[in-house]
Amino acid sequence: MSKSTRQQFADTMHAIGQYDENLVVMVGDIGHGILKPFAESCPGRYYNIGILEPTMISLGAGLSATGLRPVIHTIAPFMIERAFEQIKLDFCYHQLSGNIVTVGSAFDYSNLGCTHHCYGDFALLKTLPGVEICFPSSPIEFDQLFKQSYQNNQLTVYRIAGKNHGVQFEESEIVFGKGVLVSEGEDVTIIATGPLLKTALIAKEDLLSKGIKSEVIYIHTIRPLDIDLIRSSVQKTHNVVVVEEHMRTGGLGDEVLRATYDIEGLKFHSVSIPDKFVTGYGTYEELSKSCGLTPEAIVNAVNSWYS
Amino acid sequence: MNSELRRKIVDMVVAGKDGHIPSAFSILDIITLLYRDVLRFDASNPLWKDRDYFILSKGHGCLALYVNLHRHGFITDHDIEMFCKQGGILGEHPDRTKVPGAEASTGSLGHGLSFAVGIALGLQIQKMNNRLFILLGDGECQEGTVWEAANVARNRDLGNLCAIVDWNQSAMQLLPIDDMPKKWEAFGWNVQVVDGHNESEILGAINNVAFQTRGIPSVIVAKTIKGKGVSMLEGHGIWHHRIPNELEYGQIMEALS
Repeated sequence: MSKSTRQQFADTMHAIGQYDENLVVMVGDIGHGILKPFAESCPGRYYNIGILEPTMISLGAGLSATGLRPVIHTIAPFMIERAFEQIKLDFCYHQLSGNIVTVGSAFDYSNLGCTHHCYGDFALLKTLPGVEICFPSSPIEFDQLFKQSYQNNQLTVYRIAGKNHGVQFEESEIVFGKGVLVSEGEDVTIIATGPLLKTALIAKEDLLSKGIKSEVIYIHTIRPLDIDLIRSSVQKTHNVVVVEEHMRTGGLGDEVLRATYDIEGLKFHSVSIPDKFVTGYGTYEELSKSCGLTPEAIVNAVNSWYS
Repeated sequence: MNSELRRKIVDMVVAGKDGHIPSAFSILDIITLLYRDVLRFDASNPLWKDRDYFILSKGHGCLALYVNLHRHGFITDHDIEMFCKQGGILGEHPDRTKVPGAEASTGSLGHGLSFAVGIALGLQIQKMNNRLFILLGDGECQEGTVWEAANVARNRDLGNLCAIVDWNQSAMQLLPIDDMPKKWEAFGWNVQVVDGHNESEILGAINNVAFQTRGIPSVIVAKTIKGKGVSMLEGHGIWHHRIPNELEYGQIMEALS
């Protein structure tokens, strides 16, 4: 079984912790098992601080004010939504840098219900000047993106996906702030972020069987967004579908539309979570299907443009 | 006591046409003592690594901070003149990114202590001996994050931290059952209660704090009077966020003469 992105988070902390004495990891009563190697090898720099997310964010900002490099980790809704004002004021308005690592975004904790879902995080975070947002969905992405950005004097949020997309990237392909051109085509651009890259690639094959050639772009850095790559592709294809585990409002789709609206003959479609609570239960895959995050949704949109 | 600074605060509010006079008067004697006799700082180098930290968590009392930062050379006459004016650096809440000597941008209540506990923990991790003072309002202590932070501070042995609570009974206007010292005792802090307008009592309490990198955090619950120094401003009435008119200005200045 391949390594999870979350396990890679722990491994990366352990690796960096050996040479960067300023790295301090703080968790809100999750992850202590996988982070044990870091805790044991970096005494005094690991804190399972308690179940108090707003204060945990402020604590991280305080650590940053003393010159340390905080990494704050817990479940997405409790950090991004509950502690939003602490992120806004104590990090962003203070102009302090740090790193927030979430798990449980979108509906990764499918059966735990809406209290544990978080599919508006991109939208919220994008209102904060200077915040960087990554969505690593394979181990190598987390490792590379974190190492490239964790000490760049910004607040960076890493939204760890619960599932891997299954595509093996080379280290050199993962560059913070740059999209990845996964496959070339001239008829339609499919832009995917997160585990839904797998869905996009299934759709690509289906479309190819109908003679439609898709260009697939993978986005692991939501902000800063690789607008040049997106525009150059859509200027060629004039057709774009954005696939994401985020609410329709405020997600990657909105950013792509903003970046491409002036391209002549543009056709745009968003495959995303409808703007309502996901109230059902079941597996991640079942909820994805119920939200319409499927290859068929991509294929149907493209077919409608060619019919 | 500190009449000159109180007059300066009133002048700033009248010139800037905004400000919280009674909240500033409530804490002025504490902050003035801290900057005159307690805090280690270098106004020409506000980020001096060996400085003591002072965080004003009840940001709306910032006029008391500003007049002391001015007195000790952190900010200029021009900065004071530009209070609440376009192009100035001083607004109705302190801004860390603009004001030399302001360690935190406060105003949204309940952030300061959590941020301060983070600084205290960062100092402890790096084995630095700086002392950290934070001044909170008693109304602010209704915010849940204050107690999240108090819980962490005690459990992480942040003995380098001394909180001062401006217990001017504002909180009791809303929630009358408010035994402030007992709350802090329940969280395991060392608690002292003083008259917040009596310098020798405040200084005595500060001198009792051990300020160890690892130890029990301390809180000084300071009994204060909102609007202290001018009887017409004292208490919890209309003056919380009111600008004196010409007649009132004369009456206030006469009381402070």
